[in-house]
Amino acid sequence: MPVGSVLFAFVIGALICVVTGANPIAAYAGLVCGGLGIGCTQGENPALQISNTIVFFIPLVTTGVAVALPFRAGLFNIGAEGQLLAGSVACCAIGIKFADLPAPILLPMVLVGGMAAGAIWAGIAGVLKATVGAHEVVTTIMLNYVAQWLVRFLIVGGPLELAPGTSKSHPIGAGAQLPTLLPADNSVIIFGLPASVFRVHSGLFIALVAAAVFAFLLWRTAFGYEIRAVGQSQKAARYAGVSVRRTIVLTMLIAGAFSGLAGAVQIAGVDHNLTDKFFNDTTGFDAIAVALLGLGSAVGIVLAALLFGALHTGGAIMQSDAGISSNLVLVLQALILFSIAANFVGAIRRGLPFGRRASPELPTELPPAAGLMTEAAVPPPGKT
Amino acid sequence: MTDAERLAVDMRGIVKQFPGVLANNHVDFSVRTGEIHALVGENGAGKSTLMNVLYGLIHPDAGEILIHGKPTHLTGPRDAIALGIGMVHQHFMLIPVFSVGENIMLGREPVDGMRLYNRARARKLINDLTKKYGLALDPDTRMADLPVGLQQRAEIVKVLYRGAEILILDEPTGVLTPQETKELFVVLRDLVKGGKTIIFISHKLKEVLEISDRITVMRRGKVVGHLTTRETSEEEIATMMVGREVLLRVDKKPARPGAVVMRVENVTASSDRGVPALKGVSFELRQGEILGIAGVEGNGQSELMEVLAGTRKTTGGHVLLGDRDITTYDARTERDAGVAFIPEDRRGTGLVLSFSIAENSILGRERSSRFSWNQLLLKLVAIREWARRLVKEFDVRTPSIDVAARNLSGGNQQKVIVAREMGSKPKVLLAAQPTRGVDIGAIEFIHRRIVQERDEGTAVLLVSAELDEVRSLSDRIAVMYEGRIVSIESPDTPEERLGLLMTGGGKAREGAA
Repeated sequence: MPVGSVLFAFVIGALICVVTGANPIAAYAGLVCGGLGIGCTQGENPALQISNTIVFFIPLVTTGVAVALPFRAGLFNIGAEGQLLAGSVACCAIGIKFADLPAPILLPMVLVGGMAAGAIWAGIAGVLKATVGAHEVVTTIMLNYVAQWLVRFLIVGGPLELAPGTSKSHPIGAGAQLPTLLPADNSVIIFGLPASVFRVHSGLFIALVAAAVFAFLLWRTAFGYEIRAVGQSQKAARYAGVSVRRTIVLTMLIAGAFSGLAGAVQIAGVDHNLTDKFFNDTTGFDAIAVALLGLGSAVGIVLAALLFGALHTGGAIMQSDAGISSNLVLVLQALILFSIAANFVGAIRRGLPFGRRASPELPTELPPAAGLMTEAAVPPPGKT
Repeated sequence: MTDAERLAVDMRGIVKQFPGVLANNHVDFSVRTGEIHALVGENGAGKSTLMNVLYGLIHPDAGEILIHGKPTHLTGPRDAIALGIGMVHQHFMLIPVFSVGENIMLGREPVDGMRLYNRARARKLINDLTKKYGLALDPDTRMADLPVGLQQRAEIVKVLYRGAEILILDEPTGVLTPQETKELFVVLRDLVKGGKTIIFISHKLKEVLEISDRITVMRRGKVVGHLTTRETSEEEIATMMVGREVLLRVDKKPARPGAVVMRVENVTASSDRGVPALKGVSFELRQGEILGIAGVEGNGQSELMEVLAGTRKTTGGHVLLGDRDITTYDARTERDAGVAFIPEDRRGTGLVLSFSIAENSILGRERSSRFSWNQLLLKLVAIREWARRLVKEFDVRTPSIDVAARNLSGGNQQKVIVAREMGSKPKVLLAAQPTRGVDIGAIEFIHRRIVQERDEGTAVLLVSAELDEVRSLSDRIAVMYEGRIVSIESPDTPEERLGLLMTGGGKAREGAA
C-alpha cells in the first residue's frame, strides 16, 4: 500500500506537469538527481546532493518515530513540530549558557536537555489526555503554536537574540556541536569540493539508533507490549490490568523526547544557533506523513524519511534544471499523505478482478485511522 | 396441490464460495408451507449464509431458489420482502427512542392526502395485526422502555406488517428468559395456525425439539441431515452437527468443597450509567466447587464479575481472598493474587484481536517474572514456549501461534482465553459466559476443563445466561435478581423454580443472603 500511494502521487504529479505544459520526465529526472545524486546532467555534485538529503533525513527519522510511537498506543501526536522546537530551544539555551564546557560534558547536556524539553512539551498533552480527557490532537496542535511563538519571542528582541535586529540567537559553544562526518576544513578537497560544504553529521547515527530503540521498545519490552495493547484495544488492556493513563503519559513523554532529540541534533549538528528559518520549519509535520507511509515500523520510517529527505533536496534541483517550481514537491508529499488517508489504493485493488481479497458483498470492517499503522489494517476474512 | 407448490421455500444446489471458505456447498433446503422448520448447525456451518441468500443479501455462485414453487431471482432484500420473506435478526433493528408504532411503520408509513404521517391509521393497522395473531403490544410505548421479549415481538410485527408469509428467525431465543421463550413459542404456534411459515435458526437443541416440525442440520457448508422432529433426539442432532458423538451432559463427580477461598460481604457497586447495579451481594466461594450464578442478563452479574476481577470499583462492602482484603485491588494485583478472569466479551475485553496467539497468551501477565526480566524485557523464547504448550494442551486449532486472534473461530478464541487464565494455576477462576457463541465441540471441551479445574482445587465462580449450563456445571446455584442474590439453590432445582426466582418471583431458601 505505501508503494502504491507513492506511485499514485507521482502519476498525478506527472499529470499536473503535463497539464501545465511542463515535461514530467525532466521534472522527475531533476528530482532523482537532486535527491539521490543519480543521473545528473548539469554539473551537480552527486555527493553533495546525497549529503544534503541525509541532513534532511536525520530529523525526519527521529520525529517520524515520535509520531509512530503514540500511533501505536492509539494517540495522534500532531505536536512533533512543537516538541522539536522545544528541544531546539533547550539545546540552544544550554549550549550558549555553558559554552565553555568541553564536548564530553556539554554535548550530552544539550542532547539530554533537548530530550527533556521535548518530553515536557509532549507530556503536557499526555497528562491532559490522561486526566481531563483533553484530546491530544487539539492540545498538541496548540502547543505547536506556543512553541513557534516562543522561538520568535526568544530570538526576535528576546533574551537569546545575538544582536538587535538579527533574528537569530548566539551560536552554541564549540563543545555543544556534533562533529560532521567529513572534516570541516576548507583546504581538504573531497569529491571535488571543499570538505566543509558537506554538512552530513554524526546525528545520522543518533537518528538510526533512535529508530532501533523505537523498534526494540515496541517489540521486545513489556512496556512496548502494553503500548500496543492499549493502541489496539484499550478495553482489553484495561481488563488485563494495564494502566491506560500511565501508558498514555509515558508514551507521550518518550515520543516528546524523540522529537526534542531531533531538535537538539538539528541545532548541534547543522545550524548551531536558532534562526528565523525555524519559524517556517515543517519537519514535525512531514514526520506525520513519514510515520504513516512507513506503516509505523522502524524500517518503514527510515525508508519513508529517505524518500521525503530526497524529495526535499531534489526540489531545488528540479526547479533549477527543469524549470519546474519546487512547490511540486509539496504537492507530491500532500498527495502521498492524501492517498494513504483515503486508503483508496486498497479500494482500487479490491475492485479489480484479480487479487481480490474480500467478497464485495460482505461489508469489510474498515480499520480506524490508527489501524493504518499496523499489520491489522488488513481486513479480516469474511464471516460465514 | 402438487408437491412443489406445497413447498414455501425450495433452495436447490446453493453454492457460495467466500475467500478460503466454501460457505455453502450444494445445499438443498426446503420448507413446507405452514411448518416450523429448524435450521441447526454450529457457528460457521453456513446457516447464516444460506439465510442471507434466501433474504437476497448474498448472491449465490450457483443454485436456484423457488418460492411457492416459482423460480425466483433475488437481487436484494427488497425482492425478498416483495415475495413475502421476512427476517427477524438476532440483533434487533429498532430505534430505541421511537415508539413501537413508529418502529413498525418505519419505511412504510401510512400517509394521508397531504403525505403526512397518519398516526390514527398506523395505530389501527398495528392493532389489527396484533389482534389477529394475539400479539399484545401497545403502539405508543417508547421502544426503549420495553423488555427484550416485547422488543422482539415488535420486530415480528414489523415483519408481518410488511406482508411476510415466510419468517426467518435468527437465534430468536438467545436474549430471552425462559418465560419469554415460552411466550415466543406460543406466538410462533399461533402464526403457523394463521398460515405463516417459519424458519427457526438455533443451536439450542432442546428448543428446536420443542418447537419445530422438521429439522435441517448443516455442518461445514453442507446439509448433513433432514430430520423429522418427532422421530429424533437431542443426541442424534448433536452428533450430526459435530460429526461425532458428543457428551451433552457434563460428566462430573460430586464436588468435594474445601476451605472458603473467597468471601464476598455486602458488596455494592454502580453500573456504567451510574445507577446501583449491586445492592449488597454476599456469598462464600469454596475450594473445589463451582458456584453458578443464574439470572436474566442485566441483573448485576456482569458488574459482580468485574468487581471481583478488579475492573470495577465497589461503592461498599468487602471482598476477602483467604484473609486478605482485596476489595480495592485493581485488575493487575487481583491477577497476581491468584484471581483469574474469563471475561464475557471475548472479542472486546478478553483478547487483543490483532495480537497473535502468542501475544494474547501473556495478556495481563507480560510483567510477571515468567515472561519478562525485571518487568522490562520480554522473554520471547519463554513466551513462545508457553503459547505452544497452551495451544497443545487446550486443543486450539491453529496453524501456528503467530496467527492473529482475529482469524480464529469463536471457539478457538475462547480456548485461548481459557488456556491463558487456567494456565496460571489460579486460586479463584471467574468464568463469565465461558461458552457464549462457541461451537458444541468447544463447549464440551471448556466444560470438561472447568470441572477438571474444580477437581484440582480451584474455586470457580460461573456466570452464564444459559440456564442449562449453570445447572449442569454448578455445585451450587446462586440466583441473581436486580443486583441481589435472592436465593442459593441446589443444581437439581427444577428449571421452573429457577426461572421464577430469576424474574423476582418464588421464595428464597434458607441460607440465602
